Amino acid sequence: MANLATLIALLVLPFAVGDYWTYQLGLYYLYAMVAVGLGLCWGQAGFLPLGQAMFFGISAYLSAILLKAMPGSYLIYLLLPLAALVSGMLALLIGLMVFRRDGGSGPFFSLITLALSMLTFQIASNWNSVTGGFNGLAGIPGLPGIDDFRANYHLAAVALVLVLALASWLYRAPLGVLWRAIAQNERRVALFGFNPHHYKALAFAVSGFFAGLAGALYAPQQGLVSPQVVGFAFSAELLVWTAVGGRGRLYGPVLGTLLVGSMTAEMRDNIPYWEVIMAGFFMLVVLAFPQGVVGLFTPVTDRLRRYFESARLRARIEAPARRETIAQEPLTIEAARVSTSGINILNDLTVAFPPKGVACIIGPNGAGKTSTFNLITGELPASAGSVKVGALDITNQAPYRVARLGFGRKLQAPSVFPDLSIGDNLAIALWSNGARPLDLLRPSLRRWSSPIIGELAARYPFLCREEAAASDLSHGERQILELAMALAVQPRILLLDEPCAGLSADETSRAVDVIRWAAERLGNAVIIIEHDMALVRKIADRVMVFHNGALLAEGSVADIQADPAVQAVYVGGQK
Amino acid sequence: MDPLIVTQILNILFGVTTLAMIALGLAITFGMLGVLNLAHGEFVMMGAFCALVVDRAGAPFVLAVPLALLVCGGVGLMVEMLLIRPLYRRPFDTLVATWGLSLLLRKLAEAGFGLGFNSVSVPLAGTATLFGADYPTYRLVLIVVCVAIIGALFAWYGTSRAGLKIRAMVGNPDLARALGMPVKRLATTTFVIGSCLAGLAGVMVAPLVPVHPYLGLDYVIKSFFVLVVGGLGSVLGVVAGTGVIGGLDSVMSAVFGSTQAYFTVLVVAILFLWLKPRGLFSHG
Amino acid sequence: MPPFMTIDRRTMLAGMAGALAAGIAPGALRRAVAAEGEFKIGLLIPLSGPAALFGPSNQGCAELAADEANAAGGVLGRKIKLIPTDAGAAPAEVAKSVVRLMLEEKVDLVIGSHDSAVRQAVEATIKGKVPYIYTPVYEGGDCTANLYCLGETPPQQIKPSIEFMMKEKGAKTFYMIGNDYVWARNSNEAAKSYISAGGGSVAGEEYVPLGAPNRFEEIVTRIKGAKPDVVLVTVIGADNVNFNRAFASFGLDKEITRLAFLLEENTLLGIGAESSGNLYSCMAYFANVGSEANQTFKAAMKAKFGEKVPQLSTLGADAYAGVHCAKALIDKAGSTEAAAVAAASQGLSFAIAGGTATMTGRHVDKDMYLAMCKGTEFEVVKTFEKVASGQSCPV
Repeated sequence: MANLATLIALLVLPFAVGDYWTYQLGLYYLYAMVAVGLGLCWGQAGFLPLGQAMFFGISAYLSAILLKAMPGSYLIYLLLPLAALVSGMLALLIGLMVFRRDGGSGPFFSLITLALSMLTFQIASNWNSVTGGFNGLAGIPGLPGIDDFRANYHLAAVALVLVLALASWLYRAPLGVLWRAIAQNERRVALFGFNPHHYKALAFAVSGFFAGLAGALYAPQQGLVSPQVVGFAFSAELLVWTAVGGRGRLYGPVLGTLLVGSMTAEMRDNIPYWEVIMAGFFMLVVLAFPQGVVGLFTPVTDRLRRYFESARLRARIEAPARRETIAQEPLTIEAARVSTSGINILNDLTVAFPPKGVACIIGPNGAGKTSTFNLITGELPASAGSVKVGALDITNQAPYRVARLGFGRKLQAPSVFPDLSIGDNLAIALWSNGARPLDLLRPSLRRWSSPIIGELAARYPFLCREEAAASDLSHGERQILELAMALAVQPRILLLDEPCAGLSADETSRAVDVIRWAAERLGNAVIIIEHDMALVRKIADRVMVFHNGALLAEGSVADIQADPAVQAVYVGGQK
Repeated sequence: MDPLIVTQILNILFGVTTLAMIALGLAITFGMLGVLNLAHGEFVMMGAFCALVVDRAGAPFVLAVPLALLVCGGVGLMVEMLLIRPLYRRPFDTLVATWGLSLLLRKLAEAGFGLGFNSVSVPLAGTATLFGADYPTYRLVLIVVCVAIIGALFAWYGTSRAGLKIRAMVGNPDLARALGMPVKRLATTTFVIGSCLAGLAGVMVAPLVPVHPYLGLDYVIKSFFVLVVGGLGSVLGVVAGTGVIGGLDSVMSAVFGSTQAYFTVLVVAILFLWLKPRGLFSHG
Repeated sequence: MPPFMTIDRRTMLAGMAGALAAGIAPGALRRAVAAEGEFKIGLLIPLSGPAALFGPSNQGCAELAADEANAAGGVLGRKIKLIPTDAGAAPAEVAKSVVRLMLEEKVDLVIGSHDSAVRQAVEATIKGKVPYIYTPVYEGGDCTANLYCLGETPPQQIKPSIEFMMKEKGAKTFYMIGNDYVWARNSNEAAKSYISAGGGSVAGEEYVPLGAPNRFEEIVTRIKGAKPDVVLVTVIGADNVNFNRAFASFGLDKEITRLAFLLEENTLLGIGAESSGNLYSCMAYFANVGSEANQTFKAAMKAKFGEKVPQLSTLGADAYAGVHCAKALIDKAGSTEAAAVAAASQGLSFAIAGGTATMTGRHVDKDMYLAMCKGTEFEVVKTFEKVASGQSCPV
């Protein structure tokens, strides 16, 4: 609806603004398409590419070469999207190759994209036979049927609305929720069984495609493609537009491009120190208004949206049943050794956890308890030994693969996704076991619910405030929300790291009830790291005592308390 | 040995040491504070303009050094307090904000000095003979000075109390704060030192290049690549990184030509960023 | 004109303040009401980016020419009005400004001083609807309809100066160093043919990338090893300064002659007095050209701008010529109609800063000067009269 309104508004705009602005906006719509892609990477998925111009430029060159090769042929309308797709695929490839490496998506990724765009600039200016060298490819024919700047304007407007529609759909779909989740806590997303590298690469690919589409239309619109279109200056401009407009929202980058870009074109000739003013203003935005200009309006627009959406019926949909996972078999760790920076954290740890019931791991600080969890979920590599579920070897598997097998985990510090709503937080847990990859494009998945969540919500009514942001919750509520997320996965093996830390006595006993209830309801194995012996006594079927990275003792609570070796370790200052 | 080969070896040495000098300040702010200062090149530019002012006043060239330390240190202090400090731990925002800063500094230089090229006269004109090769005296002195400064910094960082504190802060800022160390002040000091080093580098290159507001851009990108190859936060890494980048550049341009050399440097930098982002000396 | 520094490095920060008020306000409101009788010229000059250092000179010289032309009755009896517009941005940005000039200002003619990539974008935008006078030095070969080029072409700069070096200075071997792009490569190709025609040889040829942080110590060392008689310099802007300073610091300035093809007053200031020994430049204008016309021109500039007279160079002088060419061309054609203008251009004679020039094949035959650097000034050592542009675009 909103997209249709935008389209109509843009299509009639030329009648109001006159020819020059029609021409100018036609160009800026293309730039805005690139900026939307940048906003998608930076504002949604949380990584910052510094070379978006590269994708714009590569498709622009491709498009120029095709147009020159077949002037007037209508076949070009089929080939231009392919030219855009080339950029998308290139971005996907770069994303897949870079994100999985150590450098990940931090400043190293940004520098790689910067260096790549500089390399592309050099290629574009030196490969005379293909790119026309520094002077570029001139005399590119227009698209057949698009004969003046008004037609070009309309084409650009349609393309921009198409991009906006696609982006707004992705933002609303579970995929967009996952992107925002990755930006906030990538590790947590991996522990839900999603490969964050793939999702980020996908975001990068989409942004590359948007940039490519804009570039493919730029060539026939401008009739000239020169190396500047792949240069760093253009990438930097896009960055400014996106930041000033507001990277976190769909319309921010568009607003930024149209306002900042066109203002500059107007002011540069007239105000000598325009760029000084702009540089200062730009720094002010980064410092004081990270949400950009559009952030000034979001309180109003969000309220409006909520008003309209609450009127709509938001029925919950039952999430499908869990996919096949590992069989109900014991989890065994054999002679596992883990070390970081030369220090052995786990020393030939051998321990087996029963396939059902609650097992508690206790031990002094530095005993290797949390490291054992990290070993199981694939976050710490074992240099020797193995981790198995039944006969299935899961040693040193990627965290997301382990999670998919049916592992659930709650981290020690509550790590929910603070900027997502409670409903989205829970929904991510549900998608982790029930959604096929293509399902993640269906916005209706955000209304998924499950009986377990229903029952949990009966105990903790705050879980029903689906629209509230998780950041509004208290510490205790966040612990419960994360616990609920871990349970919603319906894991075969549930790893809880101090689930009651920071809870009051009353909250603790309720949480213990929930854990016991869940263990019975799901019939799974629950492994808990816990310091509080009173709690262990209440909850544990079996206790493992760790000391210096190895198993010291194992048995019932009573056995353990009677064990002289355990007493020796705990004499003195046990927490 | 053939004097031409000696000259080429000195060229490589000169390229590597001056590049290391420029990259050093950047390495300090990036490696120790996690701040990618895109305005680093503009601090180099300010240092070069200090040399220009001294040169125009007819004063001895060495006076440019205290002037540059004062100007770049002062601006660095202001920038750290107003722009960097509120953005610690927001790496993308620092990146973007310092980019805005670089623009601002460039434009201010343009307002003060205009866009035209200026030249600073070489303080030690003429050539000296070394192993049978004639080499510009000033460049020879620069090589020595750069090595001395880098060595001194290396020693200071490794042995002094302030160096120890900074290393502690880099390793674990929270713990350092808990131990009552003035983390804020240390961070400020570190940033100011980085800015001063950039200014110093600017003074040193001023007699070799056209002094103009866009001077810094030439250096900042290459310095980033040095950092990337050498790894962050260690003086040794910077030296090794400049060795690889500067050496590769020199050798490739000697054998295949400058364009190919520039390509190679870019590709090597990308490979390092991708495969070994923690630099040459990282493991695993 | 070659890009003086890379466009890649251009600062193009964009703007926002006041945007909400005026951003997408109807263009109709600000559409200029064309004053009847004014002859409007869009003046495309670099006002932003590194090349902006030539902006003031371009603008000042063009304004002086407009004053003179108006004093002489204007164009077709109409007063010239210059509309200075930034051409220092990327081609698409400049094209946008040209659209504004065409649609809103309804200019009668466009004069441009910018690089070749921008020229192509401007050509694609104007589409021959108004005459377009391109003023700076360039690589030659552009015969786009309704385009008139005033700047030096490679044959004009290179043929006489190389012949001079070979005949008068006895130069036999040449070494070439340039930026890796079309103007430098075209110039060196032209140079090679004149060198071999004169029985000389090329000792080496090197190109450094445009827009990269280049160092020249290695190249200078290789030149030292090759011991050529003359080095032909086609690196531009900051690279030009860096190369020449490195060259002199190795003491080569005493032994080897340098001949540069894009060396004007601003760049020489960067090179500095101590690095400019044995350095020559061949251009169509130097501020120190002793001709009577140039004395008059300089006096007029001084009278108009007083102490604030911008640094004079061939680029400013070309802009001055551009306005005078516009007047002569349109007055002779009697209208701005393309065919009439093209016909009028052949054999057209008009005033330039150093004297007069004649247009043939929509390019200009003119006097060229070979100057030797004395400190940070040029001293003309040889004048080549009426050198042909070597271009022959159909008229």
